[in-house]
Amino acid sequence: MMSTTTPVSDVDIFGDEVLNDPYPAYEALRGLGAAVHLSRHDCWVLPRYEQVRAALGDHGRFSSVDSVGLEPALNERRRGGVLASDPPEHEVLRGVLSESLAPRALSRLRTDIGRRAEELVAPLVRRGTFDVVRDLARVFPVSVVADLIGMPLAAREEVLRFADAFFNTFGPLNARTRESLPVAEALFDELAAMMSRDNLEPGGWGEAVHRAADRGVIGGHQVVPLLRAYLVASMDTTINAIGSGLWLLAERPEAWQALREDRSLVPLVFEEILRYESPVQIFFRRTTCPIEYEDAVIPEQAHVGLLFGSANRDSRKWTDPDRFQVDRAPMDHVGFGYGVHGCAGQGLARIEAQAVFSALLDRVDRVELAGPPRRHLNNVIRGLDSLPVTVTTGRV
Amino acid sequence: MTVSIELVPGRCEGHAVCEAIAPEVFQVDDDGIVQLVPGGDHGAETALAAVRSCPVAALRATP
Repeated sequence: MMSTTTPVSDVDIFGDEVLNDPYPAYEALRGLGAAVHLSRHDCWVLPRYEQVRAALGDHGRFSSVDSVGLEPALNERRRGGVLASDPPEHEVLRGVLSESLAPRALSRLRTDIGRRAEELVAPLVRRGTFDVVRDLARVFPVSVVADLIGMPLAAREEVLRFADAFFNTFGPLNARTRESLPVAEALFDELAAMMSRDNLEPGGWGEAVHRAADRGVIGGHQVVPLLRAYLVASMDTTINAIGSGLWLLAERPEAWQALREDRSLVPLVFEEILRYESPVQIFFRRTTCPIEYEDAVIPEQAHVGLLFGSANRDSRKWTDPDRFQVDRAPMDHVGFGYGVHGCAGQGLARIEAQAVFSALLDRVDRVELAGPPRRHLNNVIRGLDSLPVTVTTGRV
Repeated sequence: MTVSIELVPGRCEGHAVCEAIAPEVFQVDDDGIVQLVPGGDHGAETALAAVRSCPVAALRATP
């Protein structure tokens, strides 16, 4: 039942136009209300920070079961996975790797990841002109994460294609999702085979998950879905944070200079990148009871999109939100989500991004665009397909 | 206003964002779990900012 005053919009937030530049649409949605009904998708969205954050912290009323994506048939395939479950089941799945992913454990990896970033960055800098997305951002996280899991032969292209397809299926059954379904389907079994016990190196996260199944902590059928979820979740997110971040910095030489002069800003600028160009723009939840807002009531069992990308640009929360500010330190942004489903790999993402940025800052005086960046459109991920840059080293 | 900060049992994963923001109130121990520093000022603006910044909602401030 919708009252006549309920904020409604017919914007297609999964259409090319909005995906290319979602911010005007987000601003309009935030202006309409705290909760807006999207007539075209028959779902609700929360476009403002306060409500997104509250929903993320309230898994009792905003369930993830059968609801992290928009399309019911596609949610069924995610059933029982770590993204698509609520406590207490969710806690069991998340607990399997939470110790490995905790920053204290990850700090042991920092040196190694830093060295790998240098090995990748140094030859690119010598080349002078390269593609940030293709030569750097899409290469680094796959090799780091595949090694941590213990997948011996990182089938890089397959993993990346699967991740892109997987994220598209969180949206509606539009052309992007339809094209992604056969890709996801075809690679699904291939990834499962790569994650079978025989194919995993001992001592990695993959083996740890298999061992958790041996101990009866999780079921044997949960091993591959859990590993696949972590593998996929660690791809496009980190890749696009690095890509978008370097675009923002290439267009702001004074910001690059500030980072060169004060490296303590590097961790902060990474949070600002996630706020300004959140790699995950939206995930869904399902209401377990009616939720009242100032001018709308979302009914029980409704699909609700939590618009991270909009919340992170809400002027009710942020001063001058459309300005990219190196020293803003927006620590409570929702680029990683928040609460029980808050990104489990955020510690690793921070280490990877800081390693890449530091390796570049060590060597590069100036980053300039060497051609027009090209956007890659995905139903829920915001990022780039190509970012050609030319870098200048210190010796003038 | 007196504010009391408490830990939500079992929620901390040791991301240490709170410790980075307000080390005088939060300390991540050797097991990688946050502990409240005795005598820390829970009402301090940095402490409250740290509570808001916990990525997994493991901290709660109650007036």
